[in-house]
Amino acid sequence: MSLLDVQNVTHTYDTGTGRPVLHNVDLSTKEGEIVALVGESGCGKSTLGRLIAGLHEPSSGSVSFEGSDIAGLRGKRRKEWRRHVQMVHQDPYGSLNPGLTIGSTLAPGMLQHKLANRRTVQAEMIKLLQQVGLDATPVFLQRYPHQLSGGQRQRVSIARAISLQPKLIVADEVTSMLDVSMRVAILDLLLSFQRDRGIGFVFISHDFGVVRYFAQGGRIAVMFYGYIVEEGPVEDLIKSPSHPYTHMLLQAIPVPDPVLVRKRDEQGSSPERLTGEPSTKGCVFANRCPLVQDVCRKEAPPLKDIGSGHRTACFFSDEIPPLKHLTVDEASPQATRL
Amino acid sequence: MNSVNTDDQTLLEIDDLTVAFGDGAGSVRAVENVSLSVAAGEIYALVGESGCGKSTLAYSMLQIVPQPGRIIGGDVRFRGRGMVTMSKRDLNALRSAELAMVFQGAMNAFNPVVTIGTQVDHILQAHPEVFPDPKEGRNHFEHLLELVQLPPKRIWKSFESQLSGGMKQRVAIAVALLLQPSVVILDEPTTALDVLNQRLVIDILKDLHRDLGVTIVFVTHDLAVVAEVATRVAVMYAGRLVETGTVEEIFKAERRHPYVEALINAIPSVLDVGLTVEPIGGAVPNLADLPAGCRFAPRCGLAEEICQHTEPPLLGDDGGHLVACHVVNRNAVPMEVSEA
Ligand SMILES: Nc1ncnc2c1ncn2[C@@H]1O[C@H](COP(=O)(O)OP(=O)(O)OP(=O)(O)O)[C@@H](O)[C@H]1O
Ligand code: SF4
Ligand SMILES: [Mg+2]
Repeated sequence: MSLLDVQNVTHTYDTGTGRPVLHNVDLSTKEGEIVALVGESGCGKSTLGRLIAGLHEPSSGSVSFEGSDIAGLRGKRRKEWRRHVQMVHQDPYGSLNPGLTIGSTLAPGMLQHKLANRRTVQAEMIKLLQQVGLDATPVFLQRYPHQLSGGQRQRVSIARAISLQPKLIVADEVTSMLDVSMRVAILDLLLSFQRDRGIGFVFISHDFGVVRYFAQGGRIAVMFYGYIVEEGPVEDLIKSPSHPYTHMLLQAIPVPDPVLVRKRDEQGSSPERLTGEPSTKGCVFANRCPLVQDVCRKEAPPLKDIGSGHRTACFFSDEIPPLKHLTVDEASPQATRL
Repeated sequence: MNSVNTDDQTLLEIDDLTVAFGDGAGSVRAVENVSLSVAAGEIYALVGESGCGKSTLAYSMLQIVPQPGRIIGGDVRFRGRGMVTMSKRDLNALRSAELAMVFQGAMNAFNPVVTIGTQVDHILQAHPEVFPDPKEGRNHFEHLLELVQLPPKRIWKSFESQLSGGMKQRVAIAVALLLQPSVVILDEPTTALDVLNQRLVIDILKDLHRDLGVTIVFVTHDLAVVAEVATRVAVMYAGRLVETGTVEEIFKAERRHPYVEALINAIPSVLDVGLTVEPIGGAVPNLADLPAGCRFAPRCGLAEEICQHTEPPLLGDDGGHLVACHVVNRNAVPMEVSEA
């Protein structure tokens, strides 16, 4: 049975433009699985994440957890689902209440869900601090968020999420505001919970490097203006993208090797339309697509299976050229690992 | 050759600069004894993590270090003219004619209640010496908008609130170039942008450099963006310069500061199959409580006894590639002491 099932979800914000920000989205994950959502700013990644975490209700379609539509959950089962799905946000500054000590941030959830009582809660919190690599002392529990660094705050957010022993964590851009030297440590910490406790992740990021590192063995769903345009196993999708938009995203990634950069620039770059509105008729990507044909302007390509669990919504997925700069052999011998 | 060269190609020169925040016991040095020079035609990257002093260094190039920051030592020279003691009037003239700044996230770049076009007109009116005919100025701005890949007509009539983050960043770049400065300084121009907008800004900076011949200084924490754009690089750590050289030198593994090495290895990359990414242990030191010797020593895998008590000097090879590390420099020969 799948852990999470998003079925045919369309969502329009009451306060927005009136246009849906998600269109007929289908996505499911198994227990302990990592699914990454990628796409440009505004494509609807966070909206989908919030629907999965139950922070909004979809305008239509359904989100099910362990087989039950969450809209229909009541009483004890609703409370259980609330505990089992947790969210960690991008901004470690904004997601913690500045007026609460770390202890007062962590304790209420555990008490409410009876994962600790008044006598044991202090010891449980210290255990948590240790698990997330923070200073595991009573003194630390007395601190306020503003006394912590960004990385420490993010660890507190993670501690709060895992304190409820969830089955699924929605992690929305959790490393994008952290210093480069701290990112991998936070990703490793989250990965350890996936490995040791079988926690599944919906991992939202626009950084393919981070996604590849975190979601190894999992899947990626690429979103464009509210549509999932491609979805598949991480390695497969990154090595042989089957949608022109995924190709464009991968090709745009800055290359950390000046020798490769120069080689690529000397070959001359093909002019691409990196920005622009979605098409309202036919394929949503048609306005920007270098492969566009007449049919794309008339009909919307369905998200269809192309084998080994890889889905794409493009009529011409066979015609996607190989990625230009992804050949490591061409790198300068001492170059940065690419 | 040493870190400070003073031939006529040098546009901007930072000479043994120290910038402090606060007074007395509570004061910290965000930039300490930093020297570097930016030659005409360079794309110079200032790299480091948050709090390392890179933005403060960039601001001091324009003498706009925010309060309570003060330059307490050294000088900044533009075409040989010292800026630290320059009169306010001369500074303003220099800033509008020669040096332009684009702030992070295009912050405070625009007045929210006036259209972009009106704001451009105001700038043109205030500087008739650049474009005596405002029509010419407008045409130039249109051309700049095309270079930053935006539709001129639409942008001219827009308000700030109608622009996405990526568009705002590019309009701010066009406005900074309006008065044809010889240097434009950008603080984190790609940070907080998604990968496509990042790519656009990267390509645009290269185009502007090629088509307008403008010298570019930019601040970033992203080494991949450095590899894409920069010709020269200075890496900072806890207020100090730890390595500077051409972009090829910085990315060559032969002689590299351990911090730079660690930073490169800490970036998960999309092309990195089977290779492990190594997090850097520990955290950036508090500027108010710095370690006695090398500031990177507590996190450094190569650290030896000398690193615990003696700050390593920046040493160069013949080409001006400077590294401040006892161990790396001892293992590489021959060495020449930098005057910096
Ligand atoms: N609370 C809201 N009310 C109205 N519109 C919203 C709201 N939140 C998001 N939107 C709109 O919905 C669309 C999708 O936004 P969302 O935040 O889900 O995108 P995202 O992919 O997470 O983007 P980013 O990478 O910038 O975080 C955007 O057009 C956005 O402006
Ligand atoms: S269906 Fe047509 S327009 Fe859409 S992505 Fe494929 S080729 Fe491009
Ligand atoms: Mg988001």
